[in-house]
Amino acid sequence: MLLLQGLVLGILVGGMYALMASGLTLIFGVMRLINIAHAAIIIFASYLSWQLLRVLGVDPLISIVILVIVFFVGGALLQKYVLSALIDKDLSLALLATLGVANVLEGMEGALWTSSFHAINTGYSDQTYHFGDVYVPLIRIITFVASVIILAGLYVLLTHTNLGRAIRATTQNRGVAQLVGVNVNRITMIAFGIGIAVAAAAGPLMGMYYPFYPNSHWGWIGKLMAIVVLGGLGSFRGTLLAALILGIAEQVSILYIPANWAATVFFVLLFAVLIVRPQGFFGHVARESL
Amino acid sequence: MNARRAIAIAWPVLPLAILIALPFNGLNGFLLDLFYFTFTYAAMSVGWNIIGGYTGYISLANLGFFGLGSYIGGLMLSHLDWPILLTAPLVGLVCSLVAAVIGWIALRTRGPSFVIVTLAFTFIVQFLALNLKDITGGSAGLYLPLLSMDPLLRGDLFYYYMLGVLVLAIAAAIGIRRSRFGLGLIAIREDEGKAEGSGINTSLFKIVAFMISIWFAAVAGAVHAQYLDYVDPDLAFELIIMLNMIVMTLLGSRGTVWGPVLGAFILFPLQSYLVYWLPSTIAGEVHLALLGVVLVLVARFMPEGLLVTLQKLIARRPPPRLQAVPVDAATSARP
Repeated sequence: MLLLQGLVLGILVGGMYALMASGLTLIFGVMRLINIAHAAIIIFASYLSWQLLRVLGVDPLISIVILVIVFFVGGALLQKYVLSALIDKDLSLALLATLGVANVLEGMEGALWTSSFHAINTGYSDQTYHFGDVYVPLIRIITFVASVIILAGLYVLLTHTNLGRAIRATTQNRGVAQLVGVNVNRITMIAFGIGIAVAAAAGPLMGMYYPFYPNSHWGWIGKLMAIVVLGGLGSFRGTLLAALILGIAEQVSILYIPANWAATVFFVLLFAVLIVRPQGFFGHVARESL
Repeated sequence: MNARRAIAIAWPVLPLAILIALPFNGLNGFLLDLFYFTFTYAAMSVGWNIIGGYTGYISLANLGFFGLGSYIGGLMLSHLDWPILLTAPLVGLVCSLVAAVIGWIALRTRGPSFVIVTLAFTFIVQFLALNLKDITGGSAGLYLPLLSMDPLLRGDLFYYYMLGVLVLAIAAAIGIRRSRFGLGLIAIREDEGKAEGSGINTSLFKIVAFMISIWFAAVAGAVHAQYLDYVDPDLAFELIIMLNMIVMTLLGSRGTVWGPVLGAFILFPLQSYLVYWLPSTIAGEVHLALLGVVLVLVARFMPEGLLVTLQKLIARRPPPRLQAVPVDAATSARP
């Protein structure tokens, strides 16, 4: 029964991991860029959601809508005015620029909100349901359902719209996409914006689930990188699958080893995958289809 | 022409002589420390530049090895009574061997797995330092036996030690830059496929470059543990150390011998004054954010760094014309 508990919680948290990592994989797909600031952007969205709840009483689930719009614009501008010029010159410069962004956000959060823990607490934060022997906090159901809805929306956008087709074409082969009339620079900007917007959507959910502080994004970016490598860099499906697997592996291992050691599951799997199969689950599939 | 060449080769002797002479001329505690830190950062940046600049692979593991070096040096001191200042080169060697394993995992493939693995490595070492409480003392840290010596001489000792490491780092950087090995690294940076095609064992080159890079980070970490007489997971793995190595190298000029040194000598003193001047409640946060801003701005507007940009400004005269060589002379010169 304990195992079932771990399995259920693992799937629920895996859904949120998938949302957190999907933006990272989308951005890697179109730009071949590891966005080191990804988790910092998620945490920044958590802080803004916390502030909106505190000052204006906006429910975190509603603040998602506001944050998605604002972060999409911010992300697109960052891509257009900073990163795109660097990508053309030298990819490693763009990588270092995202490292810089991560530190700017971390420092700014520390200055604005101090370096102590924050958590988004709503009226429904403490409710828990029991299904037989399995107990499930309401928050985990909410974050899972919200993550699945947003991911489904992203999936439809990528597979059933012209924009999505253009993004996938750019991911698969930039040169050929340009040849068939895709404005790849514009598509890259939009895709980066979407990736950041997805991170913004994950922020309030993450903030309801876990406490956060300015430099907690370092722990998260490690986990997210493990997920995207395991799934095969740039593969959307691979990321979803890897997020579920790592979520379950983490929650099950918490049952048997001390909770702080459970985080090592991510790194053990990361190194195992890189030794055995460096391209991840869907490393090559990503080239042919989504 | 020969005089210019002599100056071009021998000029570092002058600043070195000044740096050696400074402690004899009343350099006081604060400035002595400032120089010690600047030397430490400069040596680590020169080291980072060998993998990050020459070879073009962004390593985030140098911080992990700085911390690992601190712990290995500290543990050997407290358990075996081996003085850190003597074992530091050995600690560096041990860390370089660990780096070879990490490099083997991450550098077999091209592309982004290196940055991911190196970041993961830093997290793992910090995690172990925090959680292997029986060995490392966990978050309380390790208090090391103090150096038994005159406190006035102590400052001088660390000053000269890190000056020595810095000189060694620069010598290594110059040596590599002029060797076939260094040429191979730059070829890897410019076009790894072609480098491999021209017969360079790219995996081996990358791993050796990474090992050399790591040696300096680990030595600096070990020496710093003795400097503080203390190691803990926060100080040994402070992210600002990693950020500094990168920003200093990029600001000075990535891929050049002197760029990282220049970057460290500009940025570290500026930062100490900034932190001193800021209100202490937000000094750390503003410091971090500003360093991030500098990183983004340099990457965006001066990616070649100060040294190369200045060289280009100075050399802004008509490009040297090719010497006109008679066609038959040119062809007959060939065997």
